[in-house]
Amino acid sequence: MQNKEPLSPHIQIYKWHISSLVSISHRITGIINIVAITFICLIASLLILGESSYEIINFFMSSLLGKFVILGITWSFSFQILSEIRHLIMDLGYGFELKTSKITGLLVIFGSLILTVIFYIIGKNLI
Amino acid sequence: MVQINLPKDSEIKKGKYFKDKTGSKNLRKVNIYRWDPSTGENPRIDSYEVDMDNCPSKVLDILNKIKNEIDPTLAYRRSCAHGVCGSCAMNMGGKNGLACTKPHEEIDGDIDIYPLPHLKVKKDLIGDLDGLYKQYQSIEPWLKNNSKSETNEIIQSKEDRAKLDGAYECIMCACCSTSCPSYWWNGDKYLGPAVLLQAYRWIVDSRDEERNARLKKVADELKLYRCHTIMNCTSACPKGLNPAKAIAEIKKMLATANI
Repeated sequence: MQNKEPLSPHIQIYKWHISSLVSISHRITGIINIVAITFICLIASLLILGESSYEIINFFMSSLLGKFVILGITWSFSFQILSEIRHLIMDLGYGFELKTSKITGLLVIFGSLILTVIFYIIGKNLI
Repeated sequence: MVQINLPKDSEIKKGKYFKDKTGSKNLRKVNIYRWDPSTGENPRIDSYEVDMDNCPSKVLDILNKIKNEIDPTLAYRRSCAHGVCGSCAMNMGGKNGLACTKPHEEIDGDIDIYPLPHLKVKKDLIGDLDGLYKQYQSIEPWLKNNSKSETNEIIQSKEDRAKLDGAYECIMCACCSTSCPSYWWNGDKYLGPAVLLQAYRWIVDSRDEERNARLKKVADELKLYRCHTIMNCTSACPKGLNPAKAIAEIKKMLATANI
């Protein structure tokens, strides 16, 4: 009896490394950012409706969930910015050595966390 | 298409357990993907306890030891055992490589051995590479020169020859292509790192006169631009080559060339 040839396991068994993690996160944050921009536009247009809608937004933003969303979006944008710069440099043909790509990947990950804090502090003090 | 889960008939079941019979104190557990086409069963993982005191240093030595001393039904490809033929490419410890050059010391804990990822399995650790070879053929990997003379040497400068370094050493073991998530999801259209590195090798060869035609041929959304610099290919290459960089160079040539 001839059995149908099975497909060998792939993403289930393949080991992650810095570069592949940054690459997949770049895609995920890209999707998050599109949703986030829609969300921000929605808030901006809600403000036109007057004080009562402002109150609702303010209530949501000061809640724990609201703060988490704000921080999440800030991180998502920070990550996307740095990762995009990394991709731009790679498009110029640089940074393809294994060690370099690992270092730039780590820079993106830790840099995005630092940038999140900076953006958050600037935003909090401006408003 | 992105397909995270394995199809139903490819799901892996628990297999047999081969207990050590030598009484050795230095044992390692080796888990190997098995699939027998003569039965109607799903693939399974068989576990073997291997006496490491009497086993040389590479993963291929473990496989040979299992085949010779424990379970002769195990099927895998191997030939030169020196990292030149590319036959024993497989997934060891979650990373693609050549079993004959991969020291088992570098793998922590149990040693998990699978066939190259996202291939149709012929038997046990043997994957079907037909698709990849067809793609290799499609880039016409031979010198195209219109020179009429068949006796005259085509001279190449040292600088031009140096451009082939890092490309001609490829042994087409498919470690890189089968490590690439883009190739997993779009392997029917995307050429993959191994074939693109070879495409690059012929594009930069100063003796070849079909450079523009070759570039035009790979300039395709699916054939070339599915590379998203994930870098799995470069990290998997057992020969230390850099297919990701070669693909970036092709992209750069296309962006700057006037074709």
